[in-house]
Amino acid sequence: MVETSVIMHPRPSPTAAAMYTLRDLDVDVIVIHGPSGCCFRPARLLEKDGVKVVTSALLEDDFVFGSEGKLAKILKRVDELFKPKLIGLVGSCASMIIGEDLKKAAREAGVLHKTICCDVHSGSGDNTIGAIIALREAASMGFISLSEFERQKKMLEMATMLERTRGTARGEYIENRQGDLPREVARKILDVLSAGGKVTCVLNAKKETAFLYADIILAVYEASRRLGGRVQVLANLAPDIGLPRVRSYSKKILERFFREGVIVDSLTGGLDEYPLAGERAKDLILQSPPDLAVISGIPHAVQVERVVRTVAVSVGARAVANLKLLGYDYVVGERDAHQLSLGRNKDIQKSLLGQAIRKGMGR
Amino acid sequence: MRAIAFYGKGGIGKSTLASNIAAALSCEGIKTILIGCDPKADSTINLLGRRIRPLLEVMRDEKRPPPEHFTAIGFNGVVCVEIGGPEPGVGCAGRGLIIGIRYLSEILDLEKFDLVIFDVPADIVCGGLAVVVKEGYAEGALIVTSDEFMSLYAANNLCRGFMSIGAKVGGLVYNRASESGMRYVASFSQKVDLPILGLVPISEEIKIAEARRKTLIEMNPFSNVSAMLVSLAHSIYENRFSAVPKWISADDLECMFLESA
Repeated sequence: MVETSVIMHPRPSPTAAAMYTLRDLDVDVIVIHGPSGCCFRPARLLEKDGVKVVTSALLEDDFVFGSEGKLAKILKRVDELFKPKLIGLVGSCASMIIGEDLKKAAREAGVLHKTICCDVHSGSGDNTIGAIIALREAASMGFISLSEFERQKKMLEMATMLERTRGTARGEYIENRQGDLPREVARKILDVLSAGGKVTCVLNAKKETAFLYADIILAVYEASRRLGGRVQVLANLAPDIGLPRVRSYSKKILERFFREGVIVDSLTGGLDEYPLAGERAKDLILQSPPDLAVISGIPHAVQVERVVRTVAVSVGARAVANLKLLGYDYVVGERDAHQLSLGRNKDIQKSLLGQAIRKGMGR
Repeated sequence: MRAIAFYGKGGIGKSTLASNIAAALSCEGIKTILIGCDPKADSTINLLGRRIRPLLEVMRDEKRPPPEHFTAIGFNGVVCVEIGGPEPGVGCAGRGLIIGIRYLSEILDLEKFDLVIFDVPADIVCGGLAVVVKEGYAEGALIVTSDEFMSLYAANNLCRGFMSIGAKVGGLVYNRASESGMRYVASFSQKVDLPILGLVPISEEIKIAEARRKTLIEMNPFSNVSAMLVSLAHSIYENRFSAVPKWISADDLECMFLESA
């Protein structure tokens, strides 16, 4: 049998990670220096989130002759059209391999002082490298503090390690899998509550995806009010950690929880701290094991699958397969969390499992 | 139709030899095209007495230009083309060569020539520069070298590259030859299992011809060096390009040099 050390299934792109990070840094426009199809999907999603995304639309001639001049013209035009306070500029495989100088083009366009240039492409390595590059550049330009950069870098490195040890970067090839039916998993949760048992809901989400997973907590809380049982909530919703945009997500979700009467028993960290928050959630679960732990977002960061009965909720058929392989008892694959949670007016979105819980208790 | 590619260290005299070989064979009625593959676009100057606009530049304006927009007729009817490429320090010359050669082979009927000569820049530093032999546009390669260590070092790297892509090689062309340097080239030839197809000495005549933007074959067809060029041209044209070269380690190359010194 031929074995390779290569992860053969598709992996997230460092360029896309840089783009999401630039969004978190509140840039007004992201310019992709590459062919027009590069990062098309993340671009569309980020546009939905209110960030303008444009491309230098490179063609064969540009690869051959270089295209720093073309990029400078596009940056000038972007400045004219959108009058941005802050611009994010990312590379692509094509432009970076031919050695394009992003800063030179930004300087030529007269926008270097307000352009975060990310020398990144999809072959740069782990996707988190793209995020680190964007943050490092933002720190060097004074848009974030050095200590904030160091904190986020540490988190991103922990996230990378987590993916390599327990995530979808740990195997040569992981099959796609659909997961368990939400209605059947909902029934398990409702049975525990009906029997007066304890359900621990762990929200261990990454940034805006929390707007989807938080719905599960609302649904379990609602079910507990009607059926009984006890609900413990552990959530990485610390409102004072992270970039202002990310903090605002936590605040908004906590406000909604407050309105709905949901009490968060423990804040395990910020929305950009899921690797660390997962460890904290694990410790809290082990201190007082529930009858069932419902872990959503990045469940594999909460390593309790061999200790208590678990429901893991995540997105992506490959992530679902991985969670099953790790040994989580029930696994629900939600619809694309990014797709659902991006948008100018963010609020908690209906999740598949949340809806199944509501339906299961007769609502 | 014969199609061959000249490779060798930068500045070793590939273009000088390629244009003189084309000129020499054209004098014998062999219908020849010289395709310069260097971004500097200077392979055909000595056949034309001037620079021509490179194909890639024409393609930027016209996308699919007809042959008359990028070909020119040089000395004795030799058809001349320059692929061209980016300015130094920007873009990707290798990618340019790939695009240019593919278009050229599509738009030009190369089969109508008796001889197609590709003058390829430097050694095979990337996949793009290997495309001429890798994708079979040339049936085989020639390695131009002098007796200097770095030139043979580049020749050895070329042997390694040709071996790894399975390209056929006709042999070595010893340029700027001298009696004292022959032992180095002969020793290298033996080690990499390639014949020396011919040699061309260091020549003031060639320098003067080039200063006048001419081949020596045109400027002084009856000189001794011209006779050597004609002889080399015959060796090349009649070669079967059947060898897959060996290569030697850098340490062995250094030892070879020390032993031959």
